[in-house]
Parts: sequence; C-alpha cells; structure tokens
Amino acid sequence: MRITEHPILKFEKGPLVEFEHDGRKLKGHEGESIAAALHAAGVRVLRHSIKLDRPRGFFCAIGRCSSCLMTVDGVPNVMTCVTALSAGMRIETQTGKGIIPDVHFPTPPTDPDYPRDLGNVPLAIVGAGPAGLSAAIAAGQLGVRSVVIDENPVPGGQLIKQTHMFFGSKEHHARVRGIDIGAILVKEIEDLPVDCLTGTTVLGLYPGRMLALLRNGRLHRLTADSVILATGASENMLAFPNSDLPGVYGAGAVQTLMNVDGVAPGKRVLMIGAGNIGLIVSYQLLQAGVEVAAVVEGLPEFGGYHVHAAKIRRAGVPIMTSHTVLRALGTDRVEGAVISKIDGDWRPIEGTEVELDVDTICLAVGLTPNCELASQFGCDEAYVAELGGRVAIHDASLETTVPGVHIAGDASGIEEASTAMLEGRLAGLSAAAKFLHDREMGELTRLRSEAEEGLRALRAGPFGKHARAGKRKMLALASARGGDS
Amino acid sequence: MKSRAECVIIGGGVVGTAIAYYLAKAGMTDCVLVEADYLSSGATGRCGGGIRQQWSTEANTQLAIESVREFSSLSEELDADIEFLQGGYLVLAYTDEDVAQFERNVALQQGLGLDVAILTPDEITDRVVPQLNTDGVRMATYCPSDASANPFLTTRAYADAARRLGVEVELFTPVTRVLTKRGRVTGVETSRGTIRAPLVVNVTGSHSVPIAKTAGVDLPITPYRRQILVTEPLERFFDPMIISFSLGVYFRQVRHGSVIGGFGDPDEPAGFNQTSSLEFLTTMSAKLAFLMPRLRSVKIVRQWGGMYDLTPDAQPILGETDGVDGFFQANGFSGHGFMIAPKVAMLVAQVVAGQKPDLDISRLNARRFTEGPVTTDRSVV
Repeated sequence: MRITEHPILKFEKGPLVEFEHDGRKLKGHEGESIAAALHAAGVRVLRHSIKLDRPRGFFCAIGRCSSCLMTVDGVPNVMTCVTALSAGMRIETQTGKGIIPDVHFPTPPTDPDYPRDLGNVPLAIVGAGPAGLSAAIAAGQLGVRSVVIDENPVPGGQLIKQTHMFFGSKEHHARVRGIDIGAILVKEIEDLPVDCLTGTTVLGLYPGRMLALLRNGRLHRLTADSVILATGASENMLAFPNSDLPGVYGAGAVQTLMNVDGVAPGKRVLMIGAGNIGLIVSYQLLQAGVEVAAVVEGLPEFGGYHVHAAKIRRAGVPIMTSHTVLRALGTDRVEGAVISKIDGDWRPIEGTEVELDVDTICLAVGLTPNCELASQFGCDEAYVAELGGRVAIHDASLETTVPGVHIAGDASGIEEASTAMLEGRLAGLSAAAKFLHDREMGELTRLRSEAEEGLRALRAGPFGKHARAGKRKMLALASARGGDS
Repeated sequence: MKSRAECVIIGGGVVGTAIAYYLAKAGMTDCVLVEADYLSSGATGRCGGGIRQQWSTEANTQLAIESVREFSSLSEELDADIEFLQGGYLVLAYTDEDVAQFERNVALQQGLGLDVAILTPDEITDRVVPQLNTDGVRMATYCPSDASANPFLTTRAYADAARRLGVEVELFTPVTRVLTKRGRVTGVETSRGTIRAPLVVNVTGSHSVPIAKTAGVDLPITPYRRQILVTEPLERFFDPMIISFSLGVYFRQVRHGSVIGGFGDPDEPAGFNQTSSLEFLTTMSAKLAFLMPRLRSVKIVRQWGGMYDLTPDAQPILGETDGVDGFFQANGFSGHGFMIAPKVAMLVAQVVAGQKPDLDISRLNARRFTEGPVTTDRSVV
C-alpha cells in the first residue's frame, strides 16, 4: 500500500527497521509514524473502544482524536499517529482503557532545572503553519525576535501536504504549489531572528504569558512579551451509522498519510464534501493512484472552485450534489458505503439508495478553529457560525481580549492558506508594534495597511462571503468589549 | 421566574441543591434555587469527590458517618447514578505528630463505631494498595467504608429530584442583593428581577461573604485557591482515596479510570483566584510519581483551580443569622463540603423549615466566632 510513483512528490524515508505488532514481526521506516507504518502493512484496527468495544483505526493523523491509541513498549494510550517508529518497538492493539505496566520505575535524580527555563522572548508564536511562519517573518523583518513552536516534526503546517498550485496574485505565491510555499516560508525565517521549535507541544498558557512546552518528553517553560496563537483548525466529524469504522478518515489525515508518509489510504475512496478540501483531496488521491468512486455533497451546488471540480470530473469522478452518506458497511473495516439523494430539508429520499464498493470514506465536511489555548488563557470567545465555531474575540489588529495575545489563521476563523499568511503577517506586525521606535511607526502603518488591503482583496468575491460576514461580526463583538477597532 | 416564594436558596452547588431537595421533600415545595452560573460551577464541580469519615473530633466524625449513610442510598433515593463507591480512605502518617494524632483519632473513631484500623507499611502494600511507595510512611489509618462519588452527578441528581418536587431552578441568575427590612429578610434581588421570600439561604461558598454583606452580615470566611489535576483513564488498579495531611496530598481513581488528585500549597495567598499554575502541575506530578511510581508513564490531561471557603476553625457556618431573621447560612465548608453535603443539607433544611434538627448544629452557627476561642479539626488537607 506504499505509493511508489507520484507525479509531484518524492518520499524520503528513514531506513527500514523491524518492529513487533501483536507478536508478529513487521517492517516499517524509522521515523515515520507508527500508525503510518501499520497502515502500510495493512493493519487497520488499532484499538477497541472503551465502552462498546468497537474497532477503531486511524482518523485524524494529528494527535487529536484518540482513535489510534495503542500500547507501545508496555505503555498504554500512546498516540501512534504522532509517535515515531523505531527499531524493535513492541506495539499492541489496545482494548479498553489501558493498563499501566507493573515495572519498577527508578526514582529519577532530582533535577534543579525542572521545568527547563527557556527564558523570555519578545514574541512567542504557537503554530508553524502559514499564519505562524508569516507572523514570524513580518516581525523578524522589523527586527523583533520570535520563537515559533509547533508540535509537528517539520514546520509548514498543512502546506506540507498540498500538491496543488495556489491562486491569487504573485505576492501571495500564486501558481506555486503548497509544499513549495511551505519551503519558501521556512527558508525565509532562516535569515531572520526566528527560532523554530518543532516537535514541541504547547501544553498550556499560564499567567504572566508563560508557555509550558513539552519537548523531547521534558517540560520546558518560556515567557513572552507577546503571544500569537496560530493553532489552526481541527476537522469536523459526520455522524452516520458505522462512521467510527477503521477506513473512515478525515481529509487532513488522508493528506498526511499519502502526501507525507507516502502510504495510500485505500484502493477506492468515497469523498464526502465538495468544498475546496474535498475536491483538492480527491484530485490528490487520483495523483497517488487511488480510485475515487464519487464525491457526494449535501448542498445542491458544490462549494469549491470550479477549476478543482473540472480536474476531477475530467478524470471521470462524479460529483453528486444533494446526496449524503447513509451508512458505512463492514465489521472491522469499511467494506462499502450506502449513499442516497436528499431533499431540500436534508432528508434522505427513499428508493434512491446506492451501494458503493469502497474501502475508504474520506470526510471533508469542514473545520473548526482550535481555540483551546485562547480559551485556557481567558480570552473572551464567541460562537460565530461563519468563522466555523468558537473563536477568541479579536479586533482589527487581531489582538484578543487579553492584551498582548494575538490570533491568526484558521484559529481566528476558517478560511484558507493565502488569507492565513496575510493574517499571520498582520498579527506579526501588530505584535511587533510595542518593540518599535516611534520613527518606525510610519513604516509599520504602511505595512499594516498593505496586509489589510491584501486581505480585503482575497476576501472579495462570492467565495469570501462567509469570511466577510464572520469578520464583520467579530469586529462588532470586539468593539462592544472596548477593542480599538 | 417566580416573583414570590416561600424560600430562596442561593447557590447551585451540591449543598444548595440538596437543601432545596430536602425542603421540598419535607413539603416546602414553593422554593426557588438561584445560581449565578451553571450547576456545580463553583467549589463542588472543582473538588476531588472524596467522602471521608476519619475526623479528629467527635462531632465531625458523627456528621461524616451519617453522611456516608445518606450517600450510600442516594442513587436509589434520587433515581440517578452518582458513582458512589466505597473504596476506603488510606491516610498516611509520616511524622511523630501524625502518628500521635492518628492514634488518638482512631481511638475516638472506633468508639463511634467506625470500621477504621491502623496499618503498618507492609500491611498497606499487602492488603490495600500494592503499588504504593511506602518510603517514609510510619503507619496509615484505613477505613474501608470511606467513599467517593461524582460531584457533578450528585448535584444534578439533587437538582432534578428537587425540580420533580416542584422547586424552580434558575441558572445564570446572579443575586445582586439580599433584601431586608427591620431585621428580617424579605427576598433577593437578582439580575433577572426580584423574588420576595421570607426565608433565604446563602449557600455560595466563597461568594457567601459579598452576598451576606449586602444584608449587612459579616462572615469570617477567607477564600483560598486549591488546585487539582486529572490523568487519562486507566483500568482500575486501586480503590481507596490516598491522602497525607503532612504532604498535603490526596488522590483517587474515579469510576471511569482517571486518577484525580490535588494538594494544598501552604504558601497560597488568600483571594479569589481560579487559575491554574505550572508550579502546581510540576509539584503535584512529582508527588504522585513519588507516592505511586507506576503513575510516571501516565499522561495528565487537565488541571484546574477551585476555591476553599476557609473559616477560622475550618468548620462550616450553618444555621440562622443573628440580626437578620429568616436569613440562613450554609457556607464556609473549608474544602470538605461535598463529603458532608447530604446530612448537613438535611439538617439545615430542618432548621429552615422551623423543625428541630436530628443532630444539634448550633455549635456550627456563625456566632461561635464571637463567643470565644474555637477548636480546629486537624484532619484537613
């Protein structure tokens, strides 16, 4: 199930090593995720659920959903989608809640430097995706030092999974593939006063703008004069019978599996959702040599760009609007799916059911902003449907209700990578303001209006409708709370 | 929302909802419970859920024994599972002072019929918790009928049962003033209007002080933050709540498998503060890993802060208020309100309804603080 030929991507893998899965010897590449190695070896069931003992498999691929918890070297509840494989690992399918090993843990020597203190930085940026990296670049170009923190092993966020070319104008990297944009941003921070801490999870924000970081299994702490939260988004789930079967994946997970790990998610996929993500991932599946049975969309019109729709239609993939998935078939893994037409009230129309022979169902049914850190830090939040869910209330300079804490990218409302880059830039500029001399303010104002103008341009037109409405509501909420907007 | 009622209960924690239930059960169904936020949003929903009978004074031990009796039939009485579990309490002694105190405690507790025993370190690991690190442990007291329950479910069960009997529960309705006239309570003013009532009960933990103040009543309560953390769920591997007064630590494994535990920082400054600190996270994890080394590989999933409403003798303030007739207090629980909630609420309800309570609670009236020195129960974390 490994992808051996790909028109765009080359997969650089670690050496092949042996590991044990439920007593069986398997091989995988050192450094890839355990879940990817198992998937490549044909293993779909990773655990059984606590209450109903249902089989569970790979789902989100970013350490959020707990669907892939397994017992690794005796330790239960290990998130195998974000844990790197190493030689000789003993991996077991977990049933139930997990049992902690009855081994003797030696008392570690007392460490006076615990948690390890990383000192103070002017600007800490959480998330090294398009928004976070752009914020670091904008602040860095003004001479403001920052640390960018990301839990993934490499910077770039979701850009590292995007094989398609971006739209927009030249300064927004139009006609450049997402993966290459990621590389450009990473290259840009190299010459700037920016430290990038990958493989590092921000566990929490504490009073005094102190960040608790988990890095190499150790707790670190870092204080910052300003913080930018560019934490991105999580995928939405769709409830239907058997939607928890191994083989039902989030679209982001499918991208991770095939475009980062080089593992095909299955042989024949049903895509749910014909927004841009559903259309783009369908095309990426075709690029990876995977068949797409159909793209179903509940709305009467698909939501994505026509260019993307045209590409998959040319390849013979039907886009079925006013359709939904009724149920997944199978016992231990997806062995099929039943779809049906729906009426104007989203009710299935009897007699229109069709059974599809697929082994994978990919959900591209929207994203929800990741608001946990903002919430934990006491930023006021509001539910704004047009922005995708609960979002920290922020003003025009993307500052939240907690002074010195900014937000940018999908975390501030679901849009796409181009707007995330500009929002990141704007947040970086806003956060940099307090470190600049008065004589630099003119330049700062110019750069800010440039970014704001860019955002206006990107949000113009019918595809920016939700973002415009959402951001308008957000500004009203912020000014009601005495923001400077 | 009603504009008139026989009784208004301020506070939707476990004690407030329980008082509402026992009042309604006794026939006083024309009650309104007002809660500023959601049910169990205050100290109740932030506590560890332990139910201990091992106390150092006779009165407290008696009250605790009666509360366990109530708790044990509560799921049935309220027709809702409150996750009551008699897993016992293991209280660890580390110092000479601990040992001397515990020996006195056990003598007193056994005299009251409590099934408590002294265990040697070997007996602890052989009979109760094999996984415990007993380094430095001199002895422990163990009472297998001590218990735990889920504070959220208990509060909801009381509130639902009270509603079924006709009590109105108004959430997200902060009380702005307790209304009085010529030394008598006349009702409460809330964010959503006034409720006239001849009886008002103040059950709002740390908020009791500003609320009582609006009626000109001063309560000797100081708020202190306490913090707790909880781990990922694991298959059950130990039953009792394990505590140490000298380490200031307590922890247990809840029904669904998480280990929940906290400790009281002796240097915690007074004041209302429900934030979490990194110091707590690191200190508490180190204490847990020391006491139960196998927890070292376990992930912590959350931490939070909550308020103790501490009185000078760490005992609650219960009953009528001198100078304001019809105004009752049930606050100042000092960190152990949940465990005595059923019995205390029942007794307070009896007092509010003008009946003679089953157990005399006059020793816990606020006037004790003006009448002379008070004695502190030492069995407080």
